[in-house]
Amino acid sequence: MRFATDTGGTFTDLVVEDDDGTITLHKAPTTPSDPVAGVLDALRVAADARGLTLAGMLARGDSFIHGTTHAINAIIQGRTARTALIVTTGHRDMLLFREGGRTEPFNHAHAYPQPYVPRALTFEVPERIMAGGHVVTALDEAATAQVLDAIARADVEAIAVALLWSTVNPVHENRIGEMIAARFPDMPYSLSHSVNPTLREFRRASSAAIDASLKPLMGAYLGSLEARLADAGFAGRVMVLTSAGGMVDAREVAAQPISAINSGPSMAPVAGRHYARREGGFDSAIIADTGGTTYDISIIADGRVAMTRDLWIGEPYRGHLAGYPSVEVKSVGAGGGSIARVDASGLLHVGPQSAGAMPGPVCYQRGGTLPTVTDACVVLGYLDPDFFLGGKMKLDALGARRAIEAHIAAPLGVSLEEAAWSIVDLATEAMVQAIQDLVVNQGIDPARAVLIGGGGAAGLNSTFIARRLGCPRLLIPETGAAMSAAGAMMSDITAEFAATVYSNTARFDSDAVSASVAGLAARAEDFIARSGRPGGTQFIAEARYEGQAWEIDVPLPKADFSSPGAIAEFRARFEAEHLRLFTIVDPASEIELIGLRARVQCSARDGESDFKLMMEQTDASPRGSRSVYFAGAGRVETPVWRLDALAPDRMFDGPALIESDFTTIVVDPAARFWRSAPGAILIEERPL
Amino acid sequence: MTSASFNGAQMAVLRSRLDGVVRAMSNTLLRTGRSGVLNRARDFSCCILTQGGDLVTAADSLPIHVLSGPDLMVKSVMDFHPDQRPGDAFLHNSPYHGCSHPADLSVIAPVFDGSGRHRFTLLAKAHQADIGNSQPTTYMGEATDVYNEGALIFPAVQVQRGWQDIDDIIRMCKVRIRVPQQWHGDYLSTVGAVRVGERNLTALAEDIGWDRLEDFAAQWFDYSEARMAEAIAALPAGKVSGSSTHDPFPGLPAEGVRITSHITVDPDQGRVTVDLADNPDCMPCGMNLSEACARTAAMIGVFNSIDYQVPKNAGSFRRIDVLLREGCIAGIPVHPFSCSAATTNIADRVANSVQTALAGLQDGIGMAEVGAVIAPSAGVVSGIDPRSGKAFVNQVFLGMSGGAASPGADAWWTVGHVGNAGLCCIDGVEHAEIIQPIIIHRRAFVPDSEGAGRTNGAPSTVIEFGPVGGAIDIGYLSDGHVNAPVGVRGGGAGGGADQHIIHLDGSSERLAACAQVHVEDGERILAVSCGGGGYGSPFERAPETVLRDMAEGLISAERARTVYGVAARPDGSLDSETTRQLREPAA
Repeated sequence: MRFATDTGGTFTDLVVEDDDGTITLHKAPTTPSDPVAGVLDALRVAADARGLTLAGMLARGDSFIHGTTHAINAIIQGRTARTALIVTTGHRDMLLFREGGRTEPFNHAHAYPQPYVPRALTFEVPERIMAGGHVVTALDEAATAQVLDAIARADVEAIAVALLWSTVNPVHENRIGEMIAARFPDMPYSLSHSVNPTLREFRRASSAAIDASLKPLMGAYLGSLEARLADAGFAGRVMVLTSAGGMVDAREVAAQPISAINSGPSMAPVAGRHYARREGGFDSAIIADTGGTTYDISIIADGRVAMTRDLWIGEPYRGHLAGYPSVEVKSVGAGGGSIARVDASGLLHVGPQSAGAMPGPVCYQRGGTLPTVTDACVVLGYLDPDFFLGGKMKLDALGARRAIEAHIAAPLGVSLEEAAWSIVDLATEAMVQAIQDLVVNQGIDPARAVLIGGGGAAGLNSTFIARRLGCPRLLIPETGAAMSAAGAMMSDITAEFAATVYSNTARFDSDAVSASVAGLAARAEDFIARSGRPGGTQFIAEARYEGQAWEIDVPLPKADFSSPGAIAEFRARFEAEHLRLFTIVDPASEIELIGLRARVQCSARDGESDFKLMMEQTDASPRGSRSVYFAGAGRVETPVWRLDALAPDRMFDGPALIESDFTTIVVDPAARFWRSAPGAILIEERPL
Repeated sequence: MTSASFNGAQMAVLRSRLDGVVRAMSNTLLRTGRSGVLNRARDFSCCILTQGGDLVTAADSLPIHVLSGPDLMVKSVMDFHPDQRPGDAFLHNSPYHGCSHPADLSVIAPVFDGSGRHRFTLLAKAHQADIGNSQPTTYMGEATDVYNEGALIFPAVQVQRGWQDIDDIIRMCKVRIRVPQQWHGDYLSTVGAVRVGERNLTALAEDIGWDRLEDFAAQWFDYSEARMAEAIAALPAGKVSGSSTHDPFPGLPAEGVRITSHITVDPDQGRVTVDLADNPDCMPCGMNLSEACARTAAMIGVFNSIDYQVPKNAGSFRRIDVLLREGCIAGIPVHPFSCSAATTNIADRVANSVQTALAGLQDGIGMAEVGAVIAPSAGVVSGIDPRSGKAFVNQVFLGMSGGAASPGADAWWTVGHVGNAGLCCIDGVEHAEIIQPIIIHRRAFVPDSEGAGRTNGAPSTVIEFGPVGGAIDIGYLSDGHVNAPVGVRGGGAGGGADQHIIHLDGSSERLAACAQVHVEDGERILAVSCGGGGYGSPFERAPETVLRDMAEGLISAERARTVYGVAARPDGSLDSETTRQLREPAA
């Protein structure tokens, strides 16, 4: 038996895999001050459902897989450790300079961001290494000792070290690490070449600083999680999800906590990849995971979860660039809580202001007075005021209507329904634009991709989004209400090791590159041995045309740079990927190799699984019908189906509403749908 | 005025979809551009214009590139090529026909509907690493005229027919532009951006209909004009004048050039007029403004001073009148005066004169002065790379700040200059060292150089760098040493620019403000960029913020006390009583 949890802001989701390979979903409220309590509550719900005690159920478990926003929340809320940063002399302001760039050129209301580590806690040590790796100024150990004295007086809880070119030659960073360990035996510290071995010192410094600042907190958190699970009767392995879409042993995350800053959201595409394959063999997919205030988009390209090296904590340019590779999850500030308004010159806006959960949409009756997307969905008839969240909450339909009439319909001069539709349409547009930016950047064609909607709100407008994008199919998985936790259950034990190695096809240094490959392969083998599971390694080259600023990831089936024809093979692989991403190749240009990464993957379970979800059957009759407004069709009496009662593999024409305790799926008259045997809802255009 | 055929909801959706077309164009340029000035500094812009050349949207483009300029360029393409066909594209960089300056090589393409009617026009403008000047720089301040400057100039020259390059033009460029392979890569990106835009705009029109799209543009202009009128209505009425003085440079008078703008704000009519006619004539140097830059710089000063959410397009522009004089350094240039450096130096002075003048209208309006450029830390470096034996030329972005205080917030430090607004990226040290044969010894912000105010301007940057393994040449034109960025409404000036060369024996020598300098292996350039001015009295700045900056080592205790009237106890906490006394108005 295995358990996977994803701690969200409101609910802690739990997926349990029983020994027959089937899975079940459970939820419990999250306790923000004590996330482990929510986990234990969810486990109790699952034990009750099985007629077991918590200890009885936990005793059967082999592994517990945990997704957590604890690290990223600590950064956002400023609860991380007081951290010092040591840098090369002359570059104290590394974190202050960042990489430039700004959004909204005429918006002067945002002051320049404070650095992640204050300037007062950033210290210079005399040393310098050059791009080629040779030392031009040896580390001044006496001066370093004085810096450590100053750090001792500064009363810090962690130290980060980021020296120029440490990825090419780590000798000085390693020596400073030894000096820190000798001077402060219990002080957590992070060395940039070890945390994030990438070209670009700002990103490395940022990663090292974030990593060090999380060590005390995450060490304590994961220690307490393991202890409390053990107390509750669990004797298996505790695994933590990483930003890279895999899992590792909790102790590995405690040693490098930055690896878990995107821990939960990175799992939705892992689940998405499984469902994209299962429901039509799609190689590319767009995954939208919805919450009350956010819309998280991720991509499957060529069967792989798309990654980014531009992970921002907070708003782009105004927040902190983590600099650490992560599954690409783009958050759009558009959700059910987004507020609609009409400006003085008559233009409709939806968001970025959000009513959030408090005061929330008008229909929640918690004090919200401004109309939101959720209110629009009530007016349109998408949401049943008496059956929201399976009837757990009553919605004030009249309040929603009044707010939209007064704030939107009247100033626009349109009917109530048209106003409500416009709100949904504009929110849809914002989501479509965000998805289009992402698919361009990740090089996939929406016309060959499936759109996958997860979370409670995805069903409301995903039919429209799929149509605007030109996606041939929309898929709402049976685990949609807990897609991240389901992805966690499906994920592998993974790790990534990187090395900075520069070479150019005009004068390729096969020996140096091969040595780098061998070094990475050894570290990968070591990780596989530590994981105790069977696994394999994939190599990725970071490469670009000579003179380009940004490198692309080039998968290398065999990382061979020494045999005859190896360089030609490398060029062919690079150009295939460049063509896919940018639609052009430039055969006249040389190619620069900037770095190498080894991605290790070990299967977390024995044998294959189809992760079949066990659902309770309820009564099979439609729940009647409701009047729903559709653009171009007006009000239409629309049948309402209970999701778990739909007969599989039977095609239905829209319009329809499909409801469960967690979600409502809107199918408009131009679409049709069916339920697959494993339980997903699939929607596509009706043939004309 | 057109009759309103779209409601506010439909307009919002279409606006978003057109912005999406521009973003797709920009993404193409950013991701495939070859030179550093394109892909690292992001020094490019994309926009959609109507068939007649009215700017519809330029999304998040560089302000100095796009407010005015694209409109003038498209009109000149129409004048020279009245018989455009699908698949045509035109190269344009002539400052005498609407382009900003010769380095901003633009590709302009008409977009036709299925029946062969010209409906919209797309433009992608990209700052080149080199444009064939007589010196390896794209900002040749000392150019005595366009012949001495030597840039290849394309006044709306056809470069594609039937979506295929006219190879004659490409060959010309390849023999006259340095590092031709890099240039060609950038050209392909720029054309690629325009063609991506053409594809996406055509797809949108297939969805919406070309007529509807044109109707939308007309209505969008009316909406934007209404927003602009509202924004101007929020300003107090008045006539104000502002000035900003450029340092002496080769070809400029010994006292420098004082740029003056006379501004009339008429909130009742919802109009702003900026009169730039009261400025010197064109001068025998590369500093003359193009008409595009003169107009745009004045408009930047206005838009920096009002509600930022007003859309920037031909509709809102109807509410700004910029009065220019032919033959004026900040007006309409006369051939063969050179406009090599038109996007930066004098243009920055124009924008600064406008926004500082508007600050004089009332507290809460306008901005302080943004620092001047171009310090050697953002100069154009060239030479032979000893690692490959190949020639290189590129603008580097090793360090710059310049941000001015606004009424509501401290500056965004790394704005570069007022015309760039901070969109430009800064080179990483390692990245710069791998691309060019240079070493960056030091990169820092300069303590006590911020423009002190109720809200602060940026501190200066200092960069110390030099060649590795061989000599390099570096070209720059560093304004702001004599005339550091001023504050407004009692705010202080930001740090000024300065540059030195440090020789092998350790001796240091001040460098001219505008020069092409040869630097030997082992020598160092020490470049100080401008900070930015402050807004309001430093005595009104929150004491906690002053103490934070002091703790960070950005300001000294002495400066906190004398400039801000804030005293700290030995432990760094606020000495309220002394602070109160320091801040008491002098009797």
